[in-house]
Amino acid sequence: MSRDLPVNLEINGAAVALEVPLTETLLATLRERLQLTGAKRGCNQGVCGACTVTLDGVAVRACLSLTLNCEGQKVATIEGVAADPLIEALQQAFVDGGALQCGFCTPGQLIAARALLSQNSDPSVEEVQQGLSGNLCRCTGYRKIIDAVLSAARSMRK
Amino acid sequence: MSVDQGVFRPASVDEAVSVLARLPDARLISGGATLVAMINARLIEPAALVSLAGVDELHGITENPDGGWRIGAMTRHRDVAAERRFTGTLALVQQAASLIANATVRNMGTIGGAIAHADPGLDYPPALVAADAQIEIASGKGRRRLPASEFFVDWYATALQSAELVTAVHLRAASDGVGLYHKLARVSGDYATVSVALTMSSGVAGIATRAAMGACGPTPILLEEANALLSGSPGESELNRAGELLAAAADPVDDVRGSAEYRRLLIPRMLARAFTEARAAIGART
Amino acid sequence: MRIEGSFDIALPRAAVYGHLTDPGLIAACIPGCDQIERISPTDYRARVTIGMGGIKASFNLVVEVTSEQPPERVLSQTRGEEGSRASMLAADNEVALEEIDAANTRVSYVSDVSVTGRLGKFALGVMKKKVESLGREFAERLRERIQIQPAASSAPEAVPQ
Repeated sequence: MSRDLPVNLEINGAAVALEVPLTETLLATLRERLQLTGAKRGCNQGVCGACTVTLDGVAVRACLSLTLNCEGQKVATIEGVAADPLIEALQQAFVDGGALQCGFCTPGQLIAARALLSQNSDPSVEEVQQGLSGNLCRCTGYRKIIDAVLSAARSMRK
Repeated sequence: MSVDQGVFRPASVDEAVSVLARLPDARLISGGATLVAMINARLIEPAALVSLAGVDELHGITENPDGGWRIGAMTRHRDVAAERRFTGTLALVQQAASLIANATVRNMGTIGGAIAHADPGLDYPPALVAADAQIEIASGKGRRRLPASEFFVDWYATALQSAELVTAVHLRAASDGVGLYHKLARVSGDYATVSVALTMSSGVAGIATRAAMGACGPTPILLEEANALLSGSPGESELNRAGELLAAAADPVDDVRGSAEYRRLLIPRMLARAFTEARAAIGART
Repeated sequence: MRIEGSFDIALPRAAVYGHLTDPGLIAACIPGCDQIERISPTDYRARVTIGMGGIKASFNLVVEVTSEQPPERVLSQTRGEEGSRASMLAADNEVALEEIDAANTRVSYVSDVSVTGRLGKFALGVMKKKVESLGREFAERLRERIQIQPAASSAPEAVPQ
């Protein structure tokens, strides 16, 4: 059980070979082995969304993903998507609109918002609410986050 | 089959079954959404994992020649939620999938993983019972099929025996009519406090209704007597009586989502709301 | 959480009392109890394994009988842990015997149970249902073992609630 097992991943564009225990989560691997601390450990049970990353381009919970079960997949964390135009637009809109306070949930909000906008470039308020319903924020009351996502969507459509 | 010590990656259902037969303490992992949350809470500590990701036949939704559907066990909630071909009475399966958790979790969780876990607050079980779905199960002896109503047997318990796995969910061809899934939850994405799944079609003898309540007991509640009351040309008294019967058959838990008493109160109200909406939708079509 | 139930047995109260204070018999009737030993005149050690939804928990329990009032009442306390202290369990229990008539006895039990640790985080509402169903199973097993002659239709089967 305690024996580590080999796994190969691509993380933020770089091939990574690791040995991890059977039940280590991708979140623990990212934060504790690779010092990629953008994805946050909030609830560790898939509810809060602070650990959201992408696996082969799809937004997932890093806390509900076992590293060994991600063999051969491409992981992107907030650190690895800084140059993505959608993320740039979202970050700017979050800053301009004051859509964060403590910032703990923000990396997850950005990844989830990017997943939403990459499928729907002109979402309604309700669609943004639904798209981000799995990302809890205890500071902002959500209004400014929703406004920022709508604003980023507008700026991308120009 | 590639064997990475503690993680098995079978390429076929037969291989998966033989690993389970050999290693009784191994756990299947599909999307991981539930299994990993339980590992994180230290509720389970698997000795080995059997990943079903590489078993092709478990992926995807296919239409049978008779108009019925086969949903592979590894089909993500996202894909069922996006399935626009589930029309008429089958629309409730798509609706139930679209209300599971949130978009990110729907990218991970699978229909087979969800129903094998059989949490009473899940969205699929009442929808599959109301839709009269069949669950396909594989073991070393081959395949068997069970109606969804016989698959769910108790709190977190299914008819799955050791070294068996869910391979698919089969839906019969949609009838013209309406399929509805309504969920009452504290917040978007939570488990249901109470849910109702209902199909309704109309024919010469009036309407035909099948209703199942979710999150009201160990398994979804469907009563033939209630369905009979809700079929033909039911009026308000039949609707009330059906709600009373379903509430009487409920065995809800007291928990943070609501007291047992509150849940019993919700049953007739949610049934009435879904029934009325379905009837209006049928009326609009005929 | 509070677990309550009652069931009827077709035996006189004193006889039922005698059975209920026989640890070997009780252990055989508790679902998942695979050992019990008397460690003092009032203390018993038992191991009970329960499972639900792929979760298995094996509790090491000490039951202390705190008050015996034959043939009416037994009070006890249960303390224990499972999985090298991953969860702790504590319970105050009361079993009361009521004479229905000279040949029939009603057994009522109330237990105030608290579970902390890993199992305390899991679906407490469902856990209560599970424990209640274990209580019903216990009643059935006990009745099967001690009723020499089931009292046919004269004693309607009580449905413990």
